[in-house]
Amino acid sequence: MPELKVVRAPVAENREVAPGVFLLRLEGRFVAEPGQFFMLRAWERDPLLARPMSVFDLSPQALAFLYAVRGRGTALLANLRLGDQVKLWGPLGQGWKRVPGRIALVGGGMGLAPLLWTAKQFGSPLDVYLGFRHRPWMVEVFRSLADHVHVRSEVGAPGCTQGLVTEAFSPRGYAACYACGPKPLLLELHRMCQEAEVPLYVSLEERMACGVGACLGCTVWTRSGPKRVCSDGPVFPAAEVFFDALP
Amino acid sequence: MPSLEVQIGSLRLKNPVMAAAGTFGFGQEYREFFDISALGAICAKTVTLRARTGNPPPRLWETPCGLLNSIGLENPGIETFLKEELPKMRKLGTVIVASIWGEEPGDYGALAAAVDKADVEAIELNVSCPNVPGKGFVGAQAGFTADVVRSARAATTKPLWVKLAPEGEVLAAALAAQEAGAQALCIANTFRAMAIDISTGRPVFANVLAGLSGPAIKPLALRWVYELFPRVEVPLIASGGITTWQDAVEFIMAGARAVQVGTGNFVDPLCTLTMVEGLKKFLEERNLECWEVIRGCAHRR
Repeated sequence: MPELKVVRAPVAENREVAPGVFLLRLEGRFVAEPGQFFMLRAWERDPLLARPMSVFDLSPQALAFLYAVRGRGTALLANLRLGDQVKLWGPLGQGWKRVPGRIALVGGGMGLAPLLWTAKQFGSPLDVYLGFRHRPWMVEVFRSLADHVHVRSEVGAPGCTQGLVTEAFSPRGYAACYACGPKPLLLELHRMCQEAEVPLYVSLEERMACGVGACLGCTVWTRSGPKRVCSDGPVFPAAEVFFDALP
Repeated sequence: MPSLEVQIGSLRLKNPVMAAAGTFGFGQEYREFFDISALGAICAKTVTLRARTGNPPPRLWETPCGLLNSIGLENPGIETFLKEELPKMRKLGTVIVASIWGEEPGDYGALAAAVDKADVEAIELNVSCPNVPGKGFVGAQAGFTADVVRSARAATTKPLWVKLAPEGEVLAAALAAQEAGAQALCIANTFRAMAIDISTGRPVFANVLAGLSGPAIKPLALRWVYELFPRVEVPLIASGGITTWQDAVEFIMAGARAVQVGTGNFVDPLCTLTMVEGLKKFLEERNLECWEVIRGCAHRR
């Protein structure tokens, strides 16, 4: 029996939360596991494809996404007003599973997008590490969910320690770490976690066409051959996808 | 009640809408969205003699109303397809077309022989994948196409369809395929095209060339259906940017017997289902009994 629906949902909120970064909240009853994503579109035939977006937050009344304006698709999303319709389908992909014990969630910039719903679902004992290029944003919503929230700004910002998020972080003592962000960050976390023998799960980003595993366009090379980021991931054990990254 | 049915050679389809090879996997992904038995047929992902890992990333690049892909025939190989995927596909409740690709004409014969004993209704011979490195694909070639069809024809009694490239010796290859025993011609596969990443100054794809699909190529594919229709006797199956029922009607009016939807599935997972519903309504509202009334009507003077 078909289980996934293609639906239209009205925009309940579309607000710039940091320069070029928007929070989009859509009205409706949805379900999603931590780390899963939806395909979204709010236009007819151009841009041609829908855009994959991680679930940022979920409530009984609404589903929220975070996106950065990068191209024409996200620019169109940024123009959406209250009540405008967004077409979407999901939840898609394999999210992350909670490992018992104390865990760390690490996000770099937009990489924090899949972490909020994850923190809400996973619960304590849990620490959050967030790194930003400039001024931090969206940090406060993590405070009530995590035992500790560590924030770093690469160039420095008022009230925020300057530095890289990896300087604030050590994998020692964690049962597992979960990360999303730019590839250099994920690779450094992978190196640290390998050294400490702590499992690391990463959420990958890739260009997608179908988003459901049919087109084989978002393939990533893994220890066990080519895998689809959309349907075998987006979450993978770091050791699977960065198998050739360390000397 | 109008009939949506179409006849492709010896095969009867409940309607003219099929999923195109390589865009619908082995049907399992879209089964999550709708009852696949609503479709006229599904063409399985192209398989080869041995498993292929396909091309390195990036494999996709979006263009205005189009999509460039360089997948490179990633597939589990014929054996795994027949053993593991086909039994699941059979449960989808519609006609299954196997799609095969080989380096040499003899490969098509070997693949067709393997598929001959399997439970599929037809075999599509993919002689038009633009994304396999090393071979220097140059578009449709009449001699090669004839050899491929003959090789497959000798190995199976199943209906053979030939998926043609939209460039090269298109008409000659179409006639050669028909002459060698193809029951239908599918026009077209993707167009060879490219993109350059201006941040690096390099071509986006490792193979430089990739295949362009989507609404951007619809008028180009339409032209081929229109040009081939008066020149060939076997049914034409149209493919190229078909994403709405109106697109499908246009291709039928140009002479197509059926349509394949590829990139449209990515635009909307329900694309084919919506198309079937739209076509049904079209026949009803126009009070048409069957497709024959309008097939090729664009050629009337």
